[in-house]
Amino acid sequence: MKVKKLFQKTLFGVFSLFGFIGLSTSVLCVYTVDTHLSEEYVSNSQDIAKTIADASVDILLNRDLSTLQSLIDQFVEIQGIRYIYVTNEAGEFLAHTFVPGIPEEILAGDPSNTATVERNLPGMGDFVEVGSPILAGVAGAVHVGMDTDLIALKIQRAIGQQVYLISIVFVVGVFAAIWLVNLAARPVGDVLAYAVAVARDVGGEGEEAVDPRHRRVLERDDEAGQLARLFLHCLRNGGPDAATPRSPA
Amino acid sequence: MATGLAGLAAGRVRGASAGGAGVTDREFVLGMSAAFSGPSRGLGIELYRGATAYFEHVNGGEGVGGRRVALKTYDDGYQPDPSVRNTMTLMLEDEVFLLFGYVGTPTVTRVLPMLKKFQDRGMYLFFPFTGAQPQRQPPYGDFAFNLRASYAQETAGLVDNFVRVGRRRIAVFYQADAYGRSGWAGVRAALGRHGEQIVGEASYRRGTQFTASMRPQVEILQAAQPDAVVCIGAYAACAGFARDAVDLGLRVPIANLSFVGSENLLKLLTEGRDNPREYTDLLVNSQVVPSYEDTSIPAVREYRELMERHDPEPPAELVQEPYTPFPHSFVSLEGFLDAKLMVEVLSRLDEPPTRTGLENAVFSVKDFDLGIAERVSFGPERRQGLQQVYYTVVDEGRFVTLDDWQKRFSA
Repeated sequence: MKVKKLFQKTLFGVFSLFGFIGLSTSVLCVYTVDTHLSEEYVSNSQDIAKTIADASVDILLNRDLSTLQSLIDQFVEIQGIRYIYVTNEAGEFLAHTFVPGIPEEILAGDPSNTATVERNLPGMGDFVEVGSPILAGVAGAVHVGMDTDLIALKIQRAIGQQVYLISIVFVVGVFAAIWLVNLAARPVGDVLAYAVAVARDVGGEGEEAVDPRHRRVLERDDEAGQLARLFLHCLRNGGPDAATPRSPA
Repeated sequence: MATGLAGLAAGRVRGASAGGAGVTDREFVLGMSAAFSGPSRGLGIELYRGATAYFEHVNGGEGVGGRRVALKTYDDGYQPDPSVRNTMTLMLEDEVFLLFGYVGTPTVTRVLPMLKKFQDRGMYLFFPFTGAQPQRQPPYGDFAFNLRASYAQETAGLVDNFVRVGRRRIAVFYQADAYGRSGWAGVRAALGRHGEQIVGEASYRRGTQFTASMRPQVEILQAAQPDAVVCIGAYAACAGFARDAVDLGLRVPIANLSFVGSENLLKLLTEGRDNPREYTDLLVNSQVVPSYEDTSIPAVREYRELMERHDPEPPAELVQEPYTPFPHSFVSLEGFLDAKLMVEVLSRLDEPPTRTGLENAVFSVKDFDLGIAERVSFGPERRQGLQQVYYTVVDEGRFVTLDDWQKRFSA
């Protein structure tokens, strides 16, 4: 697809504009998706921790620990949740999902602290741990560990899909711009072709002798037609020399 | 999901109805979901074989009030989700009369809410092969009847005996699920009564094979320097732990609960070894039925005779992996006793038999002689038939009753 010289700069401008829009949209998208999804995962984890904490009150007061274990085993099946542990008010671990044992880093922590923390557990990976108190903390706390690698992977996938879409829009936009520019440039080319054909009429057979394909531009009702007719008018009134800028090569 | 049916033909049990669903003039159909595949398949298979030996004996005679007892079985692989699906099928499609002989805590704890959800159907779970608490206490205790002693009783007995012989530092190796937690809680409570705490704990994932290394778990417990280890698991993982404990020099008594499947554990630990005693002489397993070697017990004699006579095959359509049944085992003896009591309960139902009459039939069982020393009684406040715990150790390649803790395990 050859672009008329007259519109090459325009096309370059359109291309640059599309590039800028695509790039800025991608950056904004990466930031937004990363921030929102991370917050979403943490928020969901907090909801899960709170749900377990609320359910644990009844279990701890009225039932047995196997029921509590059964409860957290069901939650740990949710994708992204890698561990859950429940402690009592004395910091004793009542139920957990660790195998082969509770990591030293967690044993060394303060189980009553339910603030969101980032943990690196050797052999297990990186985690965001959220907590929720049971019965306002007087009955213990629930902690839920989210696998940050898995969260990152999910976020990367979401971002990748967005950037992929933006890239497709960008490429389609560039091709569409080239096509539209060419569409706009075609009448100018017709006028130029007509002018060149008339100028070649060195035998003096008159503009009627010009190839009808080139004469069609005279029938147009747009600026190209007006320009062609103006050119013809000048030619008729000023003679062929007036309308022929230079002899074509 | 494979199924099997011992007794009469499979299919829905309606028509020619004598009472409610699951019972006709010719048969009672009981539903069973258990592990017939996976590393714990020996438990489901042996429990089924023991129960089937007695049901076949009854069916070969006059049946129960003229009705045969059929056992419709499904495999859940000792996994909660399949057991829930199987239960749905048994209750809603097969419409069995009652549920019988479920295997495992993680499975049963997930099934119990279904019984409550469908309580208008009056479905009961009889004699599950688990000693956990959820089916022994509110809110689900009313939907189940237990024969065996609880894990709390087994762990308390083990801890009390260990403490009595001077082994106060007790560690726990357990399955990371409801079963493991149930046993862990039992050990914790029992130690608490002696003013002690669990000195170390290590866990493993359900379904772990014998071939898996238990080195990390052994090292965690070694660091705690225990006087004894109580294992709450299934035979494959517990045998793997005992093997690695010996290999890594953790030479302390290793106790297992009845659920472990003692014969399968012993087989894994000794098969192909030049020095099997080294791996078994510190084992002590609690049991909820007496030793099948003790032929002075009438029920044991009956069990051995009927097992030999019927030699029940595991349901072929459910058992896809190779398995060689044991002629006798603690698990099949428990299944046998479960079936014997089940038949007694069914025989106490009024005509026409319905599920609504089941509870009264069970509560009418008072001082019933199953053929073991302990008699069985049930009542509104007593939904567990047996209370006694037995202790066994390995001597000459088999589990025998432990008579003297002091002599065997004193610190």
